[in-house]
Amino acid sequence: METGLSKNFIINYDEPILVTGSAGFIGRYVVGQLLKKGFNKIRCLVRETSNLEGLEKIIDLEGGRSKCELIQGNLLLPDDCRNITEGIKLIYHLAAGTGSKSFSEAYLNSVVATKNLMEASLEHGALKRLVNVSSFAVYTNMKKKTGRNLDETCPVETSPETRAEAYCYGKVRQDELVIAYGREKGFPYVIVRPGSVYGPGKAFIPGRVGVDTFGFFLHLGGSTPLPLTYVENCAEAIVLAGLVPCLEGEVFNIVDDDLPSSREFLRLYKRMVRKFRSVYIPKILSYSFCFFWEKFSRWSRGQVPPVFTRREWHAYWKKTYYANGKIKKMTGWKPDIKTEDGLRTFFEYCRQSIKI
Amino acid sequence: MIKVAIIGCGKIAESHADVIKSIKNARLAATCDREILMARQLAERYGEGAYYDDLSLMLDNARPEVVHITTPPQSHFEIARTCLNAGCHVFVEKPFTVNGDEATELINLAVSKNLKITVGTDEQFSHIAVEMRRLVAEGWLGDPPYHMDCYYCYDLGDERYARAFLKNRSHWLWQLPGQLIQNIIPHAVMKICEFLSYEGVDVQALGFTSDFLRRLDESHLKDELRAIIKDGKQSTAYLTFSTQIRPPIRQFSIFGTKNGLILDQDHHALLKIPGVQHKSYVEKTVPLNNLARQYRKNMFTNIRLFLKRQFQMKRGLYNLIDLFYKSIENDAEPPIPYEQILMCSRVIDSVVRQLYSGQQKTRS
Repeated sequence: METGLSKNFIINYDEPILVTGSAGFIGRYVVGQLLKKGFNKIRCLVRETSNLEGLEKIIDLEGGRSKCELIQGNLLLPDDCRNITEGIKLIYHLAAGTGSKSFSEAYLNSVVATKNLMEASLEHGALKRLVNVSSFAVYTNMKKKTGRNLDETCPVETSPETRAEAYCYGKVRQDELVIAYGREKGFPYVIVRPGSVYGPGKAFIPGRVGVDTFGFFLHLGGSTPLPLTYVENCAEAIVLAGLVPCLEGEVFNIVDDDLPSSREFLRLYKRMVRKFRSVYIPKILSYSFCFFWEKFSRWSRGQVPPVFTRREWHAYWKKTYYANGKIKKMTGWKPDIKTEDGLRTFFEYCRQSIKI
Repeated sequence: MIKVAIIGCGKIAESHADVIKSIKNARLAATCDREILMARQLAERYGEGAYYDDLSLMLDNARPEVVHITTPPQSHFEIARTCLNAGCHVFVEKPFTVNGDEATELINLAVSKNLKITVGTDEQFSHIAVEMRRLVAEGWLGDPPYHMDCYYCYDLGDERYARAFLKNRSHWLWQLPGQLIQNIIPHAVMKICEFLSYEGVDVQALGFTSDFLRRLDESHLKDELRAIIKDGKQSTAYLTFSTQIRPPIRQFSIFGTKNGLILDQDHHALLKIPGVQHKSYVEKTVPLNNLARQYRKNMFTNIRLFLKRQFQMKRGLYNLIDLFYKSIENDAEPPIPYEQILMCSRVIDSVVRQLYSGQQKTRS
């Protein structure tokens, strides 16, 4: 364990840190990383509905019971926000509206919650930085040519409401709000955008690989690399983005090295987790499919929801490469767990989950 | 062009905004929410840009003709009263109000001001519900008394989802006198009330907590309801609300002195059940062929509606809002009679009282 001020961080080890969404898939690992680094006052915000099993397991693993304070609260309530941000120097804001089909709900749980958190922090005046955890989902990728690099300079969706993806809408607007607070109120922030976060704790096949909407698996990714980041690597990158000095206003993408293609991922999944039938749809067909689906959805006045659109295709299935140079250079982060090892652990977890 | 405003910009407001956008002679002129950001996001996606976090300011500045209230039910009464006093017609999301007294006061106020008010029990306005209404009006059932049987189920999901629901005590639903049941059953009760006479209605309700919830240490929330409703002309109805029946069906049957009708909401089918029975074994074959034919016909009707672009999931809401706006434009009767709204509120009051105060039977 590191102690004292051995690293050049923006806070010392005894200053209080708040982690919102700490019981979530990434949040619990962020808490774990902070404990590993030797921080002694970690306030873990959980919802009254949170399942705390995973978080408590990680806290116990790192021997952090006395260093972590589990606090129940609702970011939609300004009073709760004032209570939980009191004295806080650094916030890792991971709580978000996920899994909702409703744009309003996603917006409420992402944007309004973030606004309450920032307002409360401004009132206390103690905050040194907020790490706003965003997502790759915010990038448009529309006007970039096939096979180009996607990095932090790429444009964000300008019309996220047309993506038919409530999560994307919430996250785009959340980032905009944080940036506006930074510009207008001098609010100190860093934005991190993890790719597809995987690891034990969440058994899934990323939507970038394909979808099983129609009762069988449509493989849409093909040779496109997957912007994967192993959950522990991702958590460490998030933690560093909060600690390293002189990063205010920066945006960082988080992806690991040696990214597998969608095809490689699917092949390994079938070999190591379970076998199932999948049909590969070439890019030209998948694009045409999205084009016609989008048109039909509009023509039918919403009888068919616009779940496949050209914007979705550009964001998820167009051949794109992913860069992580900026975060490596500016924070000194490197993904400790190699993709090969990460995938092995992940697939083992998926296999066990299916058995259960 | 009708100027519309929405108050309360959460999930259900999206459905309203979507419908308003698709109605030719209506426009969403303003949105309002206690949280200004929520009002802004709805205005940005559906409206004309005007958004407010102050109801009075919105009523003064935007001057809407119709206001849709999509806030939690506890606030419906106050907001609706303010809007009516400001001269607006009001569309209230279900449940209409927290109790029958509030419902009566709102309707009296609307009538006294020559304004219209209605409630968003949109399932009454799906294609099949409209068709059922037409058949009943044409006398297919024969004369009352009718008997109805309404299954209205709600899936609480798996144990994990149910636990999350039970833990979320800050949700407005927990503050309703009838909690889950009061929020869900207005659709079912309204369907029943449509075919009852408005006088002398008796309600007997039995409610309990399912074993599923008991296993999750919940003993207060009632998620099972069996009710018998009878009007002064001897029409009766059974209402079954369940979170445990599988499949979680939503089905309504009505029988008169001549024939019957079955409205299968899950499959969007309406079946005519002839009152005349065949002799002997013919009864075991011919009617089945008749039913098969009707199911096939329903399937083709659904396909036709889909091709005509009239088969949206929220088509009932579209039809209801469209009818409500037309009633305003033409100064005609609103789509849901006020007596029906009031009776629905009284029946729900009675159910809630019996479930949560241990009272076995009340006259409403």
